[in-house]
Amino acid sequence: MAQMIADAVSQAGANFVDAIRTFLPRILTTFSIILAGWIIAVALRTLVRWMLGWLRFNTVCDRLGITPLLRAADLPAPDVLAAAVVFWLVWIGFLLSGVDVLGFTVLQGLVASFVLFIPRLLVALGIMLVGLLAGNFLWRATLLAAVNAHVSSPRVLAGAVRALILILAGAMALDQIAVARTIVLTAFAISFGAVMLGLAIAFGIGGGSVARRVLERQFPEKGSEPKPEEISHL
Amino acid sequence: MAQPSLLPDELVQELMAVGQVDVLVGIPTLNNAATIGSVVKAVHRGFARYFPRERTVLINSDGGSEDGTRAIVRDLSMDDADTLMLRHSLRTVHRISTPYHGVPGKGSALRQIFAAADLLQARAVAVLDPDVTTVTPEWIEALIRPVSAHACDFVSPVYVRHPLEGPLVSQLVRPLVRAAYGWQIAEPQAAEFGCSGRFAANCLEQDVWDTGLAQFGIDLWLTGAAVAGDYRCCQAVLGQRTFAPGASRPGISETFGQVVGSLFSCLERQAPSWLEREGSQPLPTVGPAPPPSPGESPPIDGERLLQSFGSDIRDLRSILETILTPETHAALNATAQIAPAELRFPDELWVATVYQFLAAHHAGVMRREHITQALLPLYLGRAGAFMLEHAGAAPASIDAALDELCREFERAKPYLVQRWARTQPR
Repeated sequence: MAQMIADAVSQAGANFVDAIRTFLPRILTTFSIILAGWIIAVALRTLVRWMLGWLRFNTVCDRLGITPLLRAADLPAPDVLAAAVVFWLVWIGFLLSGVDVLGFTVLQGLVASFVLFIPRLLVALGIMLVGLLAGNFLWRATLLAAVNAHVSSPRVLAGAVRALILILAGAMALDQIAVARTIVLTAFAISFGAVMLGLAIAFGIGGGSVARRVLERQFPEKGSEPKPEEISHL
Repeated sequence: MAQPSLLPDELVQELMAVGQVDVLVGIPTLNNAATIGSVVKAVHRGFARYFPRERTVLINSDGGSEDGTRAIVRDLSMDDADTLMLRHSLRTVHRISTPYHGVPGKGSALRQIFAAADLLQARAVAVLDPDVTTVTPEWIEALIRPVSAHACDFVSPVYVRHPLEGPLVSQLVRPLVRAAYGWQIAEPQAAEFGCSGRFAANCLEQDVWDTGLAQFGIDLWLTGAAVAGDYRCCQAVLGQRTFAPGASRPGISETFGQVVGSLFSCLERQAPSWLEREGSQPLPTVGPAPPPSPGESPPIDGERLLQSFGSDIRDLRSILETILTPETHAALNATAQIAPAELRFPDELWVATVYQFLAAHHAGVMRREHITQALLPLYLGRAGAFMLEHAGAAPASIDAALDELCREFERAKPYLVQRWARTQPR
């Protein structure tokens, strides 16, 4: 009996040593991959920041109005953010490759899925970037046009234009990375429809006089006296 | 030599029939049927009265009028008095109306007129605005005589008007052009001008004709090219300039964008020729001296211009922060707090604002149209404050205040040059 127990313990010990002998190199490989990945990711982050600095990326983002938006969202400077995206994409890639070496069945295929996910993520980021650019450009154009046309509450109008574009871009980006696709689309359709209906009702009921003034200014009656601001400034 | 494509075959045939000329008057038109007749008559009377021995031609370059403008120019018959006068002319009366092709706008029409002048080897060219109802034969003499008799290359007009009229010219265009180019030009943005054949031919060689500047700012560009280049320039008094009642003119928003955008673009293109200049000198006036300004002030309500100044400054805060220095922005905010009736917009603040906008336009801190649009509410504030401050004042004292503003622009020019050098266009 005692011999049997001793044999079982000895066998278990041998199995454990065998398992460690088999698994230790994998663990070491995993750690090596993760460490190498971290070093490469850090190097790439530094390289990307240097290149973006050389290309005056922050100045371009300032001009396009991206920096104030990032600041308002408590996010870092554009070059830091872009370098961070590169760092995390590279390091997560290495991290998953390292984990894949361990050979856990449940984690099998994770790397392949991640690799397939990267293009969609990049497209989604591109959509958000274009949305930010278009939103900011149209915000400024709307604000200036509304101020110069003496439309009341120009900041609200311009902000609404930017919000609509950012919501549209956000919904498209989330749809691209397939995050809660049905919920996002339904929520977007409901909010967009509600905003448009609200605007139509508000303008139709509350803004009748404003609409009349706008139309009268746009299509003045022939022979009407020019208003002081319509007199030639040249 | 003129580019052949600028002159259609039919036009070349008509020009060949005219032959070499001494004086060419060009009128660019687009739907000006209401006023073009009186302008054409004034031109022919001017030819007959003041240039009876010279070979003359009137060329109307039309942008596609649909109201019969070209037919009026072609078929206009002179009344008895005119016929009698034209009989005394020693030369045949030539009048051509032709459509122009290319980018719509005054630039294409002027290009065609200049090309025709080049082909006909015209010694003197004058261009008129077809919308003006007060054109007289004397205008033709005033614009042509300095070229033909005094060897001037460019004749800029002087209008007789109250100093509070045309605030965009007096508050912004005139002082900025004077400080930049170093010449005191009364009307840098005038639609009428006279020039020599040499000037017209040299202008044809420039690369401006296919740009937006030719479409909306060719008048400013021509003035800038004349005073920045090696040309003899002068001024000539034309008289009062009035438009037909009900004539459709663009609103202030559109006008301001076109004029200020063109002015800033001209300064950008011609920077090497003005950055080094200091001070200014008067442009010589050929012919009679300008009469005193009329006493009646124009019906511009200063308080109305100022109405939304405060709220506009608040609404545009984030845009103005990008363009202006913190000190200028703070000073504008402080000014905007004052009630319209009490508001005073100091010259120094206005000059600093304009120069910082010009530097921002040069640097391209944002889309350039947005920069000029953002300046409009500030201009309305400045113009309104000036109107209120000088309402009821004698024209001479207003003229003095406007001259002082021009001097302030000149004094602050080193600041502009410094900011200009610090920024690189994007």
